[in-house]
Amino acid sequence: MNTALNTIAFRLMQAAGVALVVGVMSFLMMQAMPGDMAFRIAAARYGYDLVNADLANAVRAELGLDAGPVTQFLHWMGGLARLDLGQSLVSGQPVWDEITHQLGASLQLALAAIVLSLLIGPPLGICAGLHAGGRFDRALLVVAASFRAVPQFLLGLLLIILLAVQMRLLPAAGHGSLAHFVLPALTLALGLAAASARITRDAMAGVAASPLYAFARAKGLSDGEVLRRHGLRNIGAPVVTYLGLQFVLLVEGVVVVETIFGWPGIGHALIHAVFHRDVPMVQGTALVMGLGFVLLNAIIDLIVRRIDPRGVQS
Amino acid sequence: MTLLVAKDISVHAGSDRLVDPVSLTLEMGKAVTVLGESGSGKSLLAQAILGTLPKGLDGSGTLTVGGDTFDPARPQGNRVLWGRRIAVLPQEPWLALDPLMRGQQQVAEVHDLVAAASEPAVRAKADLTALGLEAAGDKFPWQLSGGMAQRLAFAAARAGGAAITVADEPTKGLDADRRDDVLALLRKGLEGGGLLTITHDLTLAKGLGGEILVMQGGTVVERGPAARILTAPQHPYTRALIAADPANWPRRVPPSVQPVLVRATDVTVSRAGRTLFRPVGFSLSRGQTLGIFGPSGCGKSSLGNAILGLLPYEGTLWRDPGAPKLGFQKLWQDPPAAFPARITLGQGLDDLIALHRIDRKRVAPLLDRLKLSPSLLTRLPSGVSGGELQRIALLRALLLDPVFLFADEPTSRLDPVTQAETVRLMTEIAAERDMAIVFVSHDRALLHSVSDQMLELSAQ
Amino acid sequence: MTAAHIGWSVLAALILFALMGPLFDPVGPFKQSLMKALSGADAAAPFGYDHLGRSMFSRLAHALRLSLLLAFAATATAAVIGIGLGALASWRGGWLDRGLALVADSVLALPALLMVLMMGVILPSTALAFWAGLAAVQWVEFFRLTRNAARSHLASPAVEAATLQGFGPVWIFRRILWPEIGPMLRTASAFGVGNAIAAIAALGFVSVGMRAPTPELGLMMVELLPSWREAPFALMQPVLACFALLLALNLIAGDRR
Repeated sequence: MNTALNTIAFRLMQAAGVALVVGVMSFLMMQAMPGDMAFRIAAARYGYDLVNADLANAVRAELGLDAGPVTQFLHWMGGLARLDLGQSLVSGQPVWDEITHQLGASLQLALAAIVLSLLIGPPLGICAGLHAGGRFDRALLVVAASFRAVPQFLLGLLLIILLAVQMRLLPAAGHGSLAHFVLPALTLALGLAAASARITRDAMAGVAASPLYAFARAKGLSDGEVLRRHGLRNIGAPVVTYLGLQFVLLVEGVVVVETIFGWPGIGHALIHAVFHRDVPMVQGTALVMGLGFVLLNAIIDLIVRRIDPRGVQS
Repeated sequence: MTLLVAKDISVHAGSDRLVDPVSLTLEMGKAVTVLGESGSGKSLLAQAILGTLPKGLDGSGTLTVGGDTFDPARPQGNRVLWGRRIAVLPQEPWLALDPLMRGQQQVAEVHDLVAAASEPAVRAKADLTALGLEAAGDKFPWQLSGGMAQRLAFAAARAGGAAITVADEPTKGLDADRRDDVLALLRKGLEGGGLLTITHDLTLAKGLGGEILVMQGGTVVERGPAARILTAPQHPYTRALIAADPANWPRRVPPSVQPVLVRATDVTVSRAGRTLFRPVGFSLSRGQTLGIFGPSGCGKSSLGNAILGLLPYEGTLWRDPGAPKLGFQKLWQDPPAAFPARITLGQGLDDLIALHRIDRKRVAPLLDRLKLSPSLLTRLPSGVSGGELQRIALLRALLLDPVFLFADEPTSRLDPVTQAETVRLMTEIAAERDMAIVFVSHDRALLHSVSDQMLELSAQ
Repeated sequence: MTAAHIGWSVLAALILFALMGPLFDPVGPFKQSLMKALSGADAAAPFGYDHLGRSMFSRLAHALRLSLLLAFAATATAAVIGIGLGALASWRGGWLDRGLALVADSVLALPALLMVLMMGVILPSTALAFWAGLAAVQWVEFFRLTRNAARSHLASPAVEAATLQGFGPVWIFRRILWPEIGPMLRTASAFGVGNAIAAIAALGFVSVGMRAPTPELGLMMVELLPSWREAPFALMQPVLACFALLLALNLIAGDRR
């Protein structure tokens, strides 16, 4: 139990670290913007329509904006610690509302991509790993390597040209029907599948060459029984751990793919906010992405501890 | 009753013959033991019989098990023997058991899937109880001691109902006590079955009795009943092998009285707040050898490292202040790990010579004395055998004119004949130079023959 | 010829093109001649013209030059910082080690694109933002590599032996640590440069990277996408250049083990 607590403590520290990094960056973004800081913060709180010099002065007094950068910074981080993300500088809506609004669309897309990639990647990886060095293994290696050399935006571009523009099979952009799902989800899934096929293959090859695999066969179990009873069990932990780390790749992909395909999710919102210098929104989305990574990996830590009770190797 | 007949089994790599034709017969209740060093082809012989030869190697000959004939050239056909008629004991049970499956399940699945027996869980439980493993059923292998893992693997390997047991190096890297456990297990395998054991361990071969085949360079050089082979060996190699057994080494001549170099009073070492062993005291003079014995993990290496000044300790440890600063040197258990992996051995020596302005002319006579070819120095550590590497480590230490050498299980990874030669050279040179040695080993017989005094550590 | 050799050759060819191309280019990347929009190759523009009648040859060479320069600068900066901090952390240990590891783990949770975007708001120039943002993410990989390698090797018998023989930390680093981590760092650097190039192009493609009219691979792709039917070859040029560059770097990186 002690190590489970350690895992959670580590993830909490990591979450605090993520919030700190995002907070510092956001504070610097705020500082770097042209114009009066107090006015911008007031706008972030009350919306641009309502802001006037009085409100700005009230903010200035409250936050001690004349008191020097250190005090200002502490105030900024204080707001963050209370999970007070302020209002969007563009829409005037609270950042939390905006984000919860868009998160759903992103999660749908991400989930579709993950499921699709899991259907493609790990099965191919297991096949290749069981016969490491064989013809299929080498072919998969080449295919996976070329997919790694194609960044997601490029893959999206190629799919648009091929499936939407040339063959007119699918809509290139938009949101709503099932057909809209295919291109963005496929774009995300192919990259993820290449990565997960690779990691599954390595894990499987390692287990298949291990003494435990040889002994399971020597006991008299058939190849299928050995794979089902001992192989899958032993590749589970490394593969799931790796999928957690892939989350960063997924988030990056989501940002790019949503923008390319006009998908109204959090990545789209981030690009929009950066374009309009909407710092509270940037901070909010960055926080959600960073903390999402930490949360997901905390869950994965616990799952891996169930699969492999020896303890999580970092 | 004859259980298995292997006729003219040989192993080839392309046109190279690695194992010359060997025939052997396994009878009910009788052990057959293949004795030899690594590289003698003894494991290849077993793999050819089992059908587990590595890729690129081919077996030939004929194999008869019960009434059925198998062809070692087509190993896929041997698969039906595994578990059902031949139980294969793993070399390192701790690695061979599935770390993520509970003990009883690993036995029960064999009853269920291989033997297709009813109530596999009940049978597995009975197997475990028979081996004194009642407590291990609900545990994962990594929660078991080495001895328990060994017994669990034995139960799992034999649950398929095989009458023949094949054990390849079952005592590799084991302490003496554990070796006796393995012997007891293998004897159990002999009750109502046949046993083929591959080993370099004379004590094990002696304990099993039956027939012994001695292999060298891919050929059986001598075979016969265990009692005859072990007491009246004919072939020079068999004689060398038996002479290399520490139990047969000549007794050590005590050195003349010399000044004290290290004196310890109530010394112990702690790791992570835990005291490793009960405080010990000793006094070691120049030219003397102190043997340290104890179960694995009891802090033998830590005590040696404390004497070297590498670890903090509790108690009083006096080292002769007149001894040179670099006079305390060490030999490691795993010779390749003690050298920088990516530079040649010669480069490492050159750096040492340059650092301490050592006379380069001293290297050649030392190479000669340690029976090392100068060409070895152009290689990387990975390209040199363990025995040679350990002698190069000794050479490296000798360049610094040591007064004290901590030998931390320096020969536990070497073959018996190499071990005997390495230890002989080490003790001779120590005597020539009045060097004190602290020798750590898990082989009590070895320590008895090299030490002037023994220290047994016991866990706190 | 190994895969790595192919990778090096392709990379060398692309670098050569990026460096030498502009020397043989009479028009430059910005000169528009709308009459020639999307037309094919001629003597002044060997690769044809884009939708504004600018020389594709010139724009491609300048775009590659920009991407390579930014990516190499960012990865080099990250390598220096990461290796330095990694060595410091494993040497000093204790709170410094734990603190740096926590910072590294926190940065690990943030996508590189996000860091670049935030830097873009903070810093006055986009190129500067790419350099700082990419370096701010990539140092973690070098830090972890150095720290892990140092940790496992500093506890090895080889280092113990070196200490007993009187060798100092410089020798241990030069003879034991560096030969071990060197190849890993080469792999990490190739991946780092590749990721940086992909990030620059991706943000250019979604219009929050380099600004028009700067010649940049992603920006060129998004500009030429509407003209795909009329001039597919024009769009294929930046796509192929980007792919060849990333493939070369992946081949150089080889297996991550």
